[in-house]
Amino acid sequence: MKRLLFLIVSGLIVLSCTPRTVTTPQPATMPSEKKATTEGMEKKQPIEKGTTEIGGEEVAKIETAEIQEPTAAELSAKEREEILKDIHFDFDKYNIRDQDKPILRKIADWLLSRKDVKLVIEGHCDERGTNEYNLGLGDKRATATKDYLVSLGVPENRLQTVSYGEERPLCTEHTESCWQQNRRAHFVVIEGGR
Amino acid sequence: MKRFIITITTLLVLFCLSTTSSARVYLDITSPGLRAIPIAVYDLLGSPAGKEIRNIIARDLKFSGVFLPVDKEAYIETPLPVFDPSNWTALGVELVVKGSVTKEGDEIVVVVYLFDVIEARKILQKKYRAKEKFLIPLSHTISNDIYLKITGKESMFKTKIAFIGEEKSQRTIYIMDWDGKRLMSTGINAPLIMSLHWSKDASRLLYSSVRGLQWGIYLADFRKKKETLIYRSTATNIAGDFLPDGNSFLFSSSRKGSPDLYIYHLNSKRIERITWKRGIEISPVISPDGKRIAFVSDHSGTPQIYIMGLDGRGLRRISFSSGYCTSPSWSPAGDSIAYSGMVGGKHQIFVVDLESGDYIQLTDQGNNEEPSFSPDGRFITFTSDREGYKRIYIMRANGEAQQPVSPKKMRAFGPKWSPK
Repeated sequence: MKRLLFLIVSGLIVLSCTPRTVTTPQPATMPSEKKATTEGMEKKQPIEKGTTEIGGEEVAKIETAEIQEPTAAELSAKEREEILKDIHFDFDKYNIRDQDKPILRKIADWLLSRKDVKLVIEGHCDERGTNEYNLGLGDKRATATKDYLVSLGVPENRLQTVSYGEERPLCTEHTESCWQQNRRAHFVVIEGGR
Repeated sequence: MKRFIITITTLLVLFCLSTTSSARVYLDITSPGLRAIPIAVYDLLGSPAGKEIRNIIARDLKFSGVFLPVDKEAYIETPLPVFDPSNWTALGVELVVKGSVTKEGDEIVVVVYLFDVIEARKILQKKYRAKEKFLIPLSHTISNDIYLKITGKESMFKTKIAFIGEEKSQRTIYIMDWDGKRLMSTGINAPLIMSLHWSKDASRLLYSSVRGLQWGIYLADFRKKKETLIYRSTATNIAGDFLPDGNSFLFSSSRKGSPDLYIYHLNSKRIERITWKRGIEISPVISPDGKRIAFVSDHSGTPQIYIMGLDGRGLRRISFSSGYCTSPSWSPAGDSIAYSGMVGGKHQIFVVDLESGDYIQLTDQGNNEEPSFSPDGRFITFTSDREGYKRIYIMRANGEAQQPVSPKKMRAFGPKWSPK
């Protein structure tokens, strides 16, 4: 299954220069479900055998298998790893660092190819600041990230932000390497994404 | 002429046997060379509860720093309400507290006398009645009456501290007596709760919470026993202080893109913007006279504390102790601000005098954050991680007598001293 999505993703990345609509035939075994749905699969509906057509010029023929209870937010680990990487910030700063710009470029390209996807950008801080100020800092980090993606052409209405300040650390040790991991913008798919 | 304002509730009924006629202030607690007054506090006669009440009174008076309870071993006078100053002058004791307690059904009735050794007379005589289960607040009320009689000012003995406790990634708003006793859960819980703010009459509490990916500002009304969502959006909305009228409050919101300061008017639901900056503007607190606000801004490049008029005039920076200053709390007298400033990578509590700009550092162990003044301005509650986890502490406003008050082992933060 992971392989599979990876194939889809690879296909999408190839095609990402020109945005494509993803159309997926509804499985014949589920006639009662909303057939009229245009993009993406219905939630919690197993994928049956079939082919997925991507755009008009290039067709990716893909073997499919059963997914147990897929949810919108369940991207494969591979896809997450490849695209939705955290970006990081310097202490008490909210500017996008040069080394993180390629990551945002990749995310923007993916979003442009996957119009069904909506993301929440979480802004996080390390524990060294104070809690309330860090909510403001996390807000600025999430917004700076969002603004950067919008500048790359991603429609604003597909990006939501939320600041968690220092309240949701990824790493709980009191070391610089841990703090660096915590000073991040983190991406979560809230809609679409399969 | 100072008058006692007596609140009669179903919980605690107080009535005077004889109201005191003198409004004399015996002691100026604002004087810098304040010496604690030696005071003898007897176990109240008549019931084992008398000893408990005595201990609470003695502890309150001692913590205030205004009184020095003298060891009971030294008392030579009878515990009966008779008084001979010559029994005390040799000991240097200046005040004597005696009294009795009797049970009437499920109530206790307490009579207290306060004698002044120097003036050689009784200066307070008062009777208290309450359900036995309210022995603690009744005792704090006695302490307050003694304090008020001597200093001419209300004490903080009857006040509370609200804070946020975290257990298994669930946060709960708790309220406890200022000394940590009578911890009570409000029943308000959520994975993320921040920034508590009392209304002036202490009947309502404003706070922020994330629910469904949105930061909302909520209002808990303890009289109506109700929680109401006041405002939320996909922006970061963080509650600030109530304005003195009680019908509006300050908050920080990124609703227009960047965290700026606003006033929310509860009756009209109108939102009024008060800052227009590109950086972070957060943590607004109101001056006691309601005319100025203090807040945190990073427009100098690092977070610092600023004050300005509610109309935006007279903006000036007031924190110069370090490169990272946040969490302002305005002193009730309006002349100073407590905040947390970073020193050597750790946060410490500072107090800055607004007129002179002089500041002092009050803490030096671990990280100390989120100061909040007691309503009498003589104490500060704050969060400290000096024991390895965040816990609520209190101290005198000069940094003395630092002590934890929230339960051991519970991760606790965000303390706010109740205004009454």
